[in-house]
Amino acid sequence: MALLNRYDPPAFLTDYNEIPGQLDAWHRAVSRWFDQSIGSERQKTKGPIQFYNAATFDPGGLLVEQAVTWNAFPKELIRRFGRDRALLLADTLWPVEAYETPRPEPNIPLKGDSAARYRPQEEYCEWHVLRDPDSNKIQRVTFTSEPPEYWMALYGSFPSDTDTNGQPFPGSHDVLLRLYRDLVNPGVQLEDLLTTMEIRTKSGKTIKAKQYNIRNKWNTTHGIVHLTAPPNFLTAEIQLGADASVHYLDPQGRVLVEPDALIAYAGYGGPNRNSDPTIGASVNALSRLGAYVTLQNPVGLYMDHIDLSGWFAPDGKGVSDCTRIMRGTPGMIERLVVEVPENRGFSVGEITINGVPILFGGQIAECITVKLIGLANVLPEADKIVAIPAQPQTISSVDPLYPSLVNGGIPPGAVQAFVGEGAAEGSFVGKRRVVQSSLFKASKPSPPRRILSRRWK
Amino acid sequence: MEEPSKLAANQPLAVTPVEPVLPMSEIQGIVVPGFFKPHQTLLGIVCGEKPERLEQFKRLLLELSKEISTASQTLNDRREFRASRMSKAKKPKINRTLIALALSYSGLKKLTLSADAIPSNAFRQGMAARSTFLGDPTDPKNEGSPLNWKVGGHASPVDALIVVAGDARSGVDHTAERLARRLTKAGLNIVYRENGDVRSDDPGHEHFGFDDGISQPGIRGRATDAPDDFITPRHIAAAQHPEHSLFGYPGQDLVWPGVLLLGHSVTSPDPLIPGTELPAVPDWTRNGSFLVFRRLRQDVRLFWRTMNREAQRLSALPGFAGMTAEKLASRIVGRWKSGAPVNRVPAADDPTLGSQPLASNHFRFDSDATVLPLNSGYVDPFPQSKADPAGTTCPWAAHIRKVNTRDSGTDTGGRDSTYIRRLLRVGVPFGKSLKDPFSEEKDDPQKGNRGLLFLSIQSSIEDQFEFLMARWMGDSTRPKTPGGHDVLVGQNDTASERRIRKCVIFGSGLQQSTVATSAQWIIPTGGEYFFVPSLTALLQVIGSSA
Repeated sequence: MALLNRYDPPAFLTDYNEIPGQLDAWHRAVSRWFDQSIGSERQKTKGPIQFYNAATFDPGGLLVEQAVTWNAFPKELIRRFGRDRALLLADTLWPVEAYETPRPEPNIPLKGDSAARYRPQEEYCEWHVLRDPDSNKIQRVTFTSEPPEYWMALYGSFPSDTDTNGQPFPGSHDVLLRLYRDLVNPGVQLEDLLTTMEIRTKSGKTIKAKQYNIRNKWNTTHGIVHLTAPPNFLTAEIQLGADASVHYLDPQGRVLVEPDALIAYAGYGGPNRNSDPTIGASVNALSRLGAYVTLQNPVGLYMDHIDLSGWFAPDGKGVSDCTRIMRGTPGMIERLVVEVPENRGFSVGEITINGVPILFGGQIAECITVKLIGLANVLPEADKIVAIPAQPQTISSVDPLYPSLVNGGIPPGAVQAFVGEGAAEGSFVGKRRVVQSSLFKASKPSPPRRILSRRWK
Repeated sequence: MEEPSKLAANQPLAVTPVEPVLPMSEIQGIVVPGFFKPHQTLLGIVCGEKPERLEQFKRLLLELSKEISTASQTLNDRREFRASRMSKAKKPKINRTLIALALSYSGLKKLTLSADAIPSNAFRQGMAARSTFLGDPTDPKNEGSPLNWKVGGHASPVDALIVVAGDARSGVDHTAERLARRLTKAGLNIVYRENGDVRSDDPGHEHFGFDDGISQPGIRGRATDAPDDFITPRHIAAAQHPEHSLFGYPGQDLVWPGVLLLGHSVTSPDPLIPGTELPAVPDWTRNGSFLVFRRLRQDVRLFWRTMNREAQRLSALPGFAGMTAEKLASRIVGRWKSGAPVNRVPAADDPTLGSQPLASNHFRFDSDATVLPLNSGYVDPFPQSKADPAGTTCPWAAHIRKVNTRDSGTDTGGRDSTYIRRLLRVGVPFGKSLKDPFSEEKDDPQKGNRGLLFLSIQSSIEDQFEFLMARWMGDSTRPKTPGGHDVLVGQNDTASERRIRKCVIFGSGLQQSTVATSAQWIIPTGGEYFFVPSLTALLQVIGSSA
């Protein structure tokens, strides 16, 4: 029995509606991604996997909707470079090749000749800044949280057959082109959006020529349509949820509970981000209570809202007309534009936030909250929970500027981190856990199936 | 090339970090370890612009520097106080006063051009200019608008703040009066003077009735070279438990000095490992800090009337039968009036727990807490907190959970993302208690003039005080969603929402409801941002005529 009939596109976007078979293909792909991530956890543990595919399984019990939020400005950049330099760097494009290095930098010497660029904004929200060519003042900042997979599917196939298990999407080049022309520039041509040569990625995938290029110029140098950073994929979000639902033991055999220790030992996501530690901690805390967790339909990444506290317009008349939701809906925003209506006579760059003019897109990103929405199934009695040892050589070697994971030993100048203090007493291995929390005191023995949605808006 | 060292076969159970020796004669005592005396007088000073006035001010600062309480003196005083409290022998009452001096940007700029080099925008603009970011009312008819502030507003700037703190009102008065005479003689204007005193009828409790100041960060660091001469006392048995290095009192987070002091190591993702030592800019601000002052009037009648009305409304809803004003208020705060945390005793207050510092701050949110072995041998007998990741016991919007998420993640990362926001709160209430919160306004001899002289110490006004006020307390989705606003202290300045604050609370059986109110029971009536210089900075830069 399944909880869900069909996975819808992110934010219930309607672009697929006019493409026969596209919605079904999207549903099948998302379902497969859930199955693949669950399968990857099967290789780690023989215990029950508490992450599930709602389209194929219903664990039962009471459903609680749980949003997890994080700030849009990339914390990795702040940690490494300090806020001032981070603001400057966040607005630039970095070579994709740099991402493969331990400490990505925008100016590393490149080995290949790929011109592919990405935005170093790794919190599932990216932005593009348009400046006045004469004054350099910001005219417009466009934010997106749309995953690349949605647009790859819109083209009609994924670069690698392994992404879809050999089942391509119908796609529509017409719809794709029309959207690019509406969102970015009427002059977009289809060939602009395609790879020009075969690309072999470091992970071994081959992207053939004439495939959709997620880092085409209209989505990087000349505009923005969807996410480009290597970790900013829908499949990464699903995998993160799956990884975080597993219980981990530290080298002393105690269950890991602290958010930073958890992500360091378990090795999921990026420990220096706003997003991954808190997503991981939220999922893991619920699964430690015995809940089964998944992602709420429609599965996606969204901007929740922009906080305009402290924003001042030079004419003193408020700024609520300076932001527009272009795609998505309030609370589930996929595309947000910050731009001043022409009749007001000033630009974004003349708005101040707490007395400081907006010089960088990142200052606006700091005001944006991003989120995903999870579901937790609250069961009256937890199954046997088996915690797995974190790989002993995967430790967090803490460099105060940039904590990182290492394998195989402690590099010179680094120290082992999270020795003992990230964990809770005792171990759940082999024990049947009876949950004590008031979370499980249902009012009736068999509660009616209902979702507790805690959104009051 | 050096080979990476292999992991030891038997890894250590815990690491005891080596904590730095802090320059205790440099740092003002209000910063380290902080002023926690029951009585205070605040003096707000303005200096004229004429050169001779400025010279007089500088000379006075040099003289006063000999009286400013250093960290060393304040710590010794604190240790004596603790020792005398523990000792059963009858001792004479201690009657010491401590003095601190802080300068606003307007004051500092008059004294040294390098004030402009301090990069803090908040400090340079001042609190009144940034009050809308804090969510303060903008309507000129609203008492809380900076246009109406009694101190620090647009019409009443302050150049410097002197804090006199002491064990007895008489001692504080005597010292304050003496200082006031010297200030006046030096040609300075005292534009603000106010007393703050712990409530004699309810010591340690603020005017709504709640025990205030239980959860404070403990600074890491030693007073001398002795390996165990910690500034923040350690209570958890070292040999027995890996968490001994994390806390002073159980639940009291130990933070690297850079959280409170300029020019020192900040936090890293591992709380036992210091982060970067950020340079102090300009260099002479090292060992200084920032002091936030907010004069907060508290409308006690409005608070309890609202709690009563909301409790009555809720008690008619499924899952909330029996809701009382006290219980609702405990969910808004996160603690009962005694200080007992709601997620240790959800059903009713336990004053014994609330008054036990070895237990009242020991709890977690995302996982079960356990009994910690303590040096004193004390065994915590109270129920331990149970995992509450969804906020069903202690709401996410509860004040204590808004400002310190403990072991939960936040919207800016893991546990360290809450460590870096911690404030050291060193203020006291002002005004006489209201005997009956349900009495009529006309029967209040104080006419509502009571509240809190809020004072906090932090190394970054923007990343700590302002962030907590605006980004967490004043936002309905951060640090966790969908908790809601901090209904107790937060302010909602979203244009379309008419200053309504709202939060989600849970009843039994996972029933949930929303509490919403625009009642303004905490009204900012004054405030400013100040810099607390080190003694060297005072002598060699600020007070110097060179």
